[in-house]
Amino acid sequence: MPTILIIIAVVLLLWIISTYNFFVSSKARIRASVQEIGNQLKRQADLIPNLVESTKGYLKHEKGIFEDLTSARRAIASAVESGDVQKMANAGAKLASVLPSFKVAVEDNPELKASEVVGKLMDELRDTSDKLMYSRRIVIDLTADYNIRRVSFPASLIAGLFGFAELPGLITPQEGKHVKVSEGEMESPKVKL
Amino acid sequence: MLRFQKARWSLQKSSSEMINVYEAEAANKRKSALIIALFVVFVAIAVYVLASAFAVYSGYEPGGLGFVGLALIISGILSWGSYYFSDRIVLSISKARPADRKKDFTFYTVSENLAIAAGIPKPKLYVIEDSAPNAFATGRDPKHAVVCATTGLIDKLSRTELEGVIAHELSHIRNYDTRLQSLVAVMVGMIALLGDWFLRMRWGGRRDDRGGNIAAVILVLGLLFAILSPIIAQVIQLAISRRREFMADAGSVGLTRQPSGLIDALEKISADTEPLEAANKATAHLYIVNPFRRKTGRAVEWMSSLFNTHPPVLERIRILKEMI
Repeated sequence: MPTILIIIAVVLLLWIISTYNFFVSSKARIRASVQEIGNQLKRQADLIPNLVESTKGYLKHEKGIFEDLTSARRAIASAVESGDVQKMANAGAKLASVLPSFKVAVEDNPELKASEVVGKLMDELRDTSDKLMYSRRIVIDLTADYNIRRVSFPASLIAGLFGFAELPGLITPQEGKHVKVSEGEMESPKVKL
Repeated sequence: MLRFQKARWSLQKSSSEMINVYEAEAANKRKSALIIALFVVFVAIAVYVLASAFAVYSGYEPGGLGFVGLALIISGILSWGSYYFSDRIVLSISKARPADRKKDFTFYTVSENLAIAAGIPKPKLYVIEDSAPNAFATGRDPKHAVVCATTGLIDKLSRTELEGVIAHELSHIRNYDTRLQSLVAVMVGMIALLGDWFLRMRWGGRRDDRGGNIAAVILVLGLLFAILSPIIAQVIQLAISRRREFMADAGSVGLTRQPSGLIDALEKISADTEPLEAANKATAHLYIVNPFRRKTGRAVEWMSSLFNTHPPVLERIRILKEMI
């Protein structure tokens, strides 16, 4: 009889340890993957102005875009320094908002589009925005795993015992325009060429 | 609990035929665990029967276990090298060159990006100069992983399609599929050796009448298992391989959230009739689509489907379409 009790106690203890370790290691991984977003933003902030610099000759009359890019780059640098995820995301969004006008400038100019330098630049632009998207995805996935485990029985007992709080992941408003369908969006889009 | 889940699952399947990516991944994990459990149970039974038969033959109890241990060691040694050096062996067979960020920009960056999303280090990337589109992943763990693509794949697929394929390969890496397949191969090899030894024993000479009827039954059972169990073990091994393909497909969608990329890629790859020269029987199971495919009749197809490393592409596409 006592041996059975000891075995049960040991198994229970091992389960508690592994569950506890799951929570602390997920938290560390989530923190690391948030840093990865910062890392990617910083890469983007360093990369794009340099790339754009190399295409500047082709884009003489688009000065406004360059000014916007420079200020977006500054915003990212200061956001990464502050270490605040939300600020980083905002700064990233600012840079992302400059890119479409840049793309339009390229699309409008067939000579530009054909040039290899610009083609390379467009590839790099897509790649860098993909990198940011995927580094956000892992934050979302890891946080979802953590939060689900936190509330599922019986791991919820351990989470409650050690006070593991719910993590926000990528902060997104739960209500607002992005979860509503507007009148215009319900019509099928017409494409004019 | 289990019954509840099962009921819910079947309800969902019949009602809407739509399944979201989380459910798809969870269902694949369940089915995969089930089939691996089936394999383990089968191996245990086969080993038990064969060990008893060896024990009866050799006349003393531990004799049977001795044979099993010897078979396990030999099969383990045979498979150990191909597991531990899986990355290097396959690359030297397939004559691959390392990928270059400039030259293979799309392949390189897509793999880099998806590795971020999968939470694994960027695998070593290689390119095979072959116009047949295909790709494979290998390596004993994510730190020693290799992803290899043919130039045909890189040239013929768009970036989105390539993302689907690479995400499939990274899912194999994340699921430790090379490790699993190696362990399964050790077990299958062990059973094959045991069966082979049992059939090769000298059946005339040194048998005594101790044990009587029971001993005879065990010997007949042993003979039956010696003939059938290597085939059955292999069939289950291939079923595991196919299940892991479905699992990697679901994992791919989990990473990209764009089933259409992988669907289009599978359609393009399977429509391509060129044979892959770099592939051989030893490496076929690694590729995203079976590099040896032939068109045959229905009946032959069903029989051969039991012995395929990959599920049919149409079936994979059908399941992926449920996730759109």
